[in-house]
Amino acid sequence: MDVGVLLQVVLSGLAAGAVLGLVALGFTLVAGTVRVLHLAHGDVVVAAVFVGVLGVLGRTPVATRLDLPRSLALVALVLAAGAALAALVGLLAVRPALPDPARGRRGDPLAWVAGGVAAGLLLRAVLGLLLPQEGYAVPDPLRLSGLSHDGLLHLQGGTTLPVRVLGVLALGVLVGIAAERYLERSRLGHALRAMADDPDAALLCGVDVRRVVLVAFVVAGLLAGVAGLLDAPGRAASVDDGVVLGLEGVAAALLGGLGSLRGALLGGLAVGLVQSVAVWAWGATLQDVAPLTLLVVVLALRPQGLRA
Amino acid sequence: MSALDVAQALWLLVAAIGLALSVSYAGLPVLGAGAFLAVGGYGTALLGPGGADWPLGLAVLASVGLAAVAGWLVALGASRLEGPYLALATWALAWLVQRCLLAYPGRFGGTDGRTAPSPAHLVSPALGLDLTLTPRAHVVVSALVCALLLAALVRLGRGPAGLDLAALREGPDVAESLGVPVASRRRTVLAVTAALCALSGAGSTVLLGLVSPDDVSPLVSLELFVAVLLGGTARWWGPVLGIAVLTALPHVGDALARAGGLDVERSRGVVTALLLVAVVALRGPLTRRLHRPGPPPAEPPAVPGAVPGAVSAGAHPVLLEARGLTVRYAGLTALDDAALELRGGEVHALVGANGSGKSTLLKALAGAIDAGEVRVDGVAVPARVRARVRAGVVRTAQHTALLPHTSPDRQTAVGARVRSDSWAVVRHLLATPTSRARTEQELARQALHDTGLEHLVGADTERVAVGDQRLLQLARAVATGARVLLVDEPAAGMTAQERVRLAAVLRRLAGNGLAVLLVEHDMRLVGDVADRVTVLDVGRVLASGPVEVVRADPAVHRAYLGAGLSDTEVVR
Repeated sequence: MDVGVLLQVVLSGLAAGAVLGLVALGFTLVAGTVRVLHLAHGDVVVAAVFVGVLGVLGRTPVATRLDLPRSLALVALVLAAGAALAALVGLLAVRPALPDPARGRRGDPLAWVAGGVAAGLLLRAVLGLLLPQEGYAVPDPLRLSGLSHDGLLHLQGGTTLPVRVLGVLALGVLVGIAAERYLERSRLGHALRAMADDPDAALLCGVDVRRVVLVAFVVAGLLAGVAGLLDAPGRAASVDDGVVLGLEGVAAALLGGLGSLRGALLGGLAVGLVQSVAVWAWGATLQDVAPLTLLVVVLALRPQGLRA
Repeated sequence: MSALDVAQALWLLVAAIGLALSVSYAGLPVLGAGAFLAVGGYGTALLGPGGADWPLGLAVLASVGLAAVAGWLVALGASRLEGPYLALATWALAWLVQRCLLAYPGRFGGTDGRTAPSPAHLVSPALGLDLTLTPRAHVVVSALVCALLLAALVRLGRGPAGLDLAALREGPDVAESLGVPVASRRRTVLAVTAALCALSGAGSTVLLGLVSPDDVSPLVSLELFVAVLLGGTARWWGPVLGIAVLTALPHVGDALARAGGLDVERSRGVVTALLLVAVVALRGPLTRRLHRPGPPPAEPPAVPGAVPGAVSAGAHPVLLEARGLTVRYAGLTALDDAALELRGGEVHALVGANGSGKSTLLKALAGAIDAGEVRVDGVAVPARVRARVRAGVVRTAQHTALLPHTSPDRQTAVGARVRSDSWAVVRHLLATPTSRARTEQELARQALHDTGLEHLVGADTERVAVGDQRLLQLARAVATGARVLLVDEPAAGMTAQERVRLAAVLRRLAGNGLAVLLVEHDMRLVGDVADRVTVLDVGRVLASGPVEVVRADPAVHRAYLGAGLSDTEVVR
């Protein structure tokens, strides 16, 4: 295997992994603080992108080049849509099923599992009404392909790589680390962690638990928006991509140890690499099969994660 | 409705019955029924006529067996997972199978799927059989299968399997502590679910002559899950109702599709999502409304005061011996070379300050942790809860842990389950002559009698008084046939009168020849019922012996009760 191909496999794997890391970060944040598996998370990622594109272009997406104001509008709208959709899922589908000591209500895990799955189904169905095709070219507001004059990165031995892969990798890792640092250090992060450690004690210490639940979902939604912005323009995006993307994120979060922010980022990179190597070795058919297999195996063997 | 539609609905009912066993009987949220349908459908198409050309019956049997093994393997991995994680794992499995089917179009036929000859012929030269499987023939066969399965479901619910399933559903931890092998039961249940789903997949593939990814999609998995949830908890007609609603749904979906301009698949998704949310949201209020509260428990009978224990050292045989019990948690020594002997016919109190290792010692004796050698009747018993329960050593939990929706007599019968072997379920299902031996119910009655709880028979568990709840835990443990009872703070939350009853019950159990180890802070209760007492201090046995001897031990005064207390204050 020559160096060019090796670089191609590793770089594209890490780039996909950086995106998965952001997805996993949101999932693990919700799992750690709210103690809930956010089963509609992947659908929020995809839905945020399509809502943004429909809002800015006013029609189904085509491969257009956006001018600066519309690029900025698209970024803002996707982030806002991610936060809003996640908040809706949290408020309508999950929070009614959470334990509420103040009202003497016990939690109902089956209800939030069903709520999450149903929310994902509904997002797919509603968007599918507007976007019936198998795949859409989503414009890239960040113009990552503009990093080189022909949009490609020429590697040793004549192999090439879309240059946006480098941009995705750099931005994904940067946003991931920034978010992780922020959540570890800030006042908000402390409140979230207090919730994670002991919801009852957090309540007694004056943390507004119901609000913190909402905040966790909103932060996860913002991260979902970033992940969508990095991921969708690189391929033919479909409304139905969400579930598998979400499950890949779950695999990453579990690998890193559920609830661990740094673990989620590293888990994402690992899943991305596994996926990329599997595709290189056995063909593109394993694009989805490899990470899903990994998820099932991790759940069966080490649900507590590799780091635990 | 044509014969084809009816046959299709009936084959789907087979899957729903299988899924109901996991979801509504055993309380396992399985979101991946489609994966098992796929094993049956594609297995039959690939192995049977038109594929590898095996005889049809053999192909169906092989795929059903394969699915059962797959279900068992899933459960092998998933038996340690809590509910939501099992839902996640099976949901991922549904998508994994779907993506595998699409990833290998050469083998599985891509989005078009695989065909099989239709109508199929069931040919057996040996039996002189040549049957054309028309839709009408399918209706007969599938109706027969459904009827048999529903009859089996009803019978299972009434027998020992019903007890196991209630325990799995309402309190896996309780079941575990009573020696019900929870993980193994879950594996069996999931294997049966997988096999029946595969049978359903095989049946409809043979009926339609086609199986495609859409027939076994994650959406189908969710539809089946909703159908099963519709029927509520552990009711045989649940899957029937669910499938009736499910077959009516496409009409609703079509109407929605026409009205909203959705395509058919999407409108099915919307309907499923709404139904899923509605069913789960209405589940609580509906069961509360339909649930007729059982009768309140009758008044407990009056009990004579406790008979003080008469110690006659050496008169009773040693039932349990433990020595060298040591447990260390990250730097902290919870038990340090502790030793203990328990004699039949005696109540043995275990006292010590908080954190002295009392509960840890109980866990070690019960096999929940491996801390050192424990012998029962001189034979070493491995440190597993089920092994210890079978050897007659049972612990009752410090907190109250009841099966909330199972009557007191039935949950006492769950305790008696450990006395029969794994095949008791099958014997009961087939009504073999040996299945009529002494039943769990009779053993439960006896245990309730021994613990003075006969007034609870048939009562509503949620209305049982706190003191009776604690005694009920004791009754469940007695029903296992225990000879050594490890009782962790049974008097917590009891009124003074209830304590008197507890003391009488403990003395009666000892009088029946049982060894009772009692962890208790209430020194008056200890003084009333105990023959012997062992004092633990920071994980070590400080003193052990007849109550008066230990009571007089100055070391006990210093370590446990504080220096300078007079003798009367120690036991008052």
